[in-house]
Amino acid sequence: MERVATGTGAGVSETTVYDDQIVKMFFTATTVWALVGMLVGVIIALQLAWWPANLGLPWTTFGRLRPLHTNAVIFAFAGNVCFTGIYHSTQRLLKTRMYSDRLSRVHFWGWQSIIVAAAITLPLGMTQSKEYAELIWPIDVAITLVWVAFGVNFFGTLARRKVKHLYVAIWFYMSFVITIAVLHIVNSLVIPATLFRSYPIYAGLTDALVQWWYGHNAVGFFLTTPFLGLMYYYLPRAAQRPVYSYRLSIVHFWGLVFLYIWAGPHHLLYSALPDWAQTVGMVFSIMLLAPSWGGMLNGLLTLRGAWDRVRTDPILKFMVVAVSFYGMSTFEGPMMSIRAVNSLAHYTNWVIGHVHSGALGWVGMISFGMMYWMIQDIWKRKLAHPSWATHHFWLATIGIVLYTVAMWAAGLMEGLQWRALNDAGRLAHPIFLDITTRLEPFLWLRLLGGTLYLIGAIMMAVNFWQTIRGPERPADAAAVPAAA
Amino acid sequence: MNTLLREAAASVQMGWLLGAMTVVFLVCFVGWIVYAYHPRNRELMEEMARMPLGDGGDS
Ligand code: HEM
Ligand code: HEM
Repeated sequence: MERVATGTGAGVSETTVYDDQIVKMFFTATTVWALVGMLVGVIIALQLAWWPANLGLPWTTFGRLRPLHTNAVIFAFAGNVCFTGIYHSTQRLLKTRMYSDRLSRVHFWGWQSIIVAAAITLPLGMTQSKEYAELIWPIDVAITLVWVAFGVNFFGTLARRKVKHLYVAIWFYMSFVITIAVLHIVNSLVIPATLFRSYPIYAGLTDALVQWWYGHNAVGFFLTTPFLGLMYYYLPRAAQRPVYSYRLSIVHFWGLVFLYIWAGPHHLLYSALPDWAQTVGMVFSIMLLAPSWGGMLNGLLTLRGAWDRVRTDPILKFMVVAVSFYGMSTFEGPMMSIRAVNSLAHYTNWVIGHVHSGALGWVGMISFGMMYWMIQDIWKRKLAHPSWATHHFWLATIGIVLYTVAMWAAGLMEGLQWRALNDAGRLAHPIFLDITTRLEPFLWLRLLGGTLYLIGAIMMAVNFWQTIRGPERPADAAAVPAAA
Repeated sequence: MNTLLREAAASVQMGWLLGAMTVVFLVCFVGWIVYAYHPRNRELMEEMARMPLGDGGDS
């Protein structure tokens, strides 16, 4: 159940017993929430293509299920992935057990309860109407408390570490723990009116600015930095190669955290936000390209000399595609932050394409790669169906391509048609609904892509289930020393 | 105060703030580049690059 590592600190041999039980708990939760979140994604994709799928019930309409999807994939799936990887790799990188087993359990059960509360309240229509911060104030308070438990546990572990230097992944995790706390608290400040209702303390433009400072950094510090930490730990481990350039990883980390915080206004271009603030957001977004691509290259070059294994190893395949999509979405993002480009892209399905090239391509694929690697390590079993992992990889890759290409095409089409003028200088397509109905084929294509992606994830879950229930792997272990 | 004047004043303050930020960020940037690429730190960097390999951390 628990892993023993022997380190020889200053000639003295000492033994650390890692808490792998908590890793297994988060791992299992991740697998379950991945399926739930993506299933809801497929359902809302169907609703956009075929409205009767709203079922005519208030609880199942798009407006209520959409936030259920975003909360489930971001906070339930991506959140639990990060916690899985952080609890696993932090103990190993710091050569110490987590600071407190009890806090680990409080974190686990607290977080899962919050997710269940979200899954109940959102379909009931209880919301604060702020994107990615919809949950009503009592749940916000619970999130704060659980996050503090996590933070104390994480920094407590850092304090009792048995190595001197902190590996770069730990820095990325630290940025996750600290910034999410600050972002969540600042954006969720409200005056409660009743148990289910509250009023934000910000008004008008300030509210919008705080919201998108939060919203953008939720992308930056929930969907990017912790996953980069995972990349810097699991990619070298799976490839059995040292990081290509540790120096570059330092520049990557500091560049990213310095720039990300200021980029939020690119969500408010052409709004009432003062011009100079929009420009600050735009400039910082464009600068973000540099550290992002530095990180991408560092990930890809770590595989130098191991490319032959990429051909046969599905884990490395997932990771290579993930890092490539990280590069793609962090190229696309800065381009979309340029005012002129944003005037075309904003409000269109292009943004949805960008979101999912990051979400399905980067977040999803790096998570799958990590999980296929980790299950064999912590349960000490070989995959029940190794070939399924490769099938999953191809289903997911084809799914992402269908999804993003359909959304780019749809976004460009609607963006261009909205603004097109005829010779008389009038709107060439004055009837908005006409443009909307032309989107239909693309929406079906997206549904197909999303469904393939979901089928891949179901194969992964079945594979995991049968692996865990299967016989323990003999001690030939590609991985690590003995068990307790 | 006249709105035009107020805007002008605000933009000057903003200019100072942005200028100061630029300097601070530049100094930080140069600082961490020097730290990362200083020859004295070469061995440490190479050791750190190998940290994920093996179960217990650096080996
Ligand atoms: C089977 C996979 C998935 C499908 C079919 C799917 C589908 C959808 C659909 C239909 C929307 C609404 C788009 C609109 O309003 O026009 C959406 C929004 C969104 N999805 Fe997904 N999704 C999937 C997976 C994911 C994953 C894994 C993540 C994150 C890790 C994610 C993050 C988001 C976000 C952040 C939004 C809101 C975008 C915005 O407001 O601009 N999705 N998704
Ligand atoms: C250098 C990096 C990036 C930059 C500069 C950037 C920039 C942008 C811009 C300009 C928008 C469109 C805002 C609008 O017109 O409404 C956007 C939307 C979005 N991006 Fe990115 N992006 C980057 C990377 C990523 C990554 C890696 C992900 C996902 C993992 C991501 C997720 C999102 C989401 C979820 C939205 C939709 C927000 C909403 O309206 O609900 N971005 N991004």
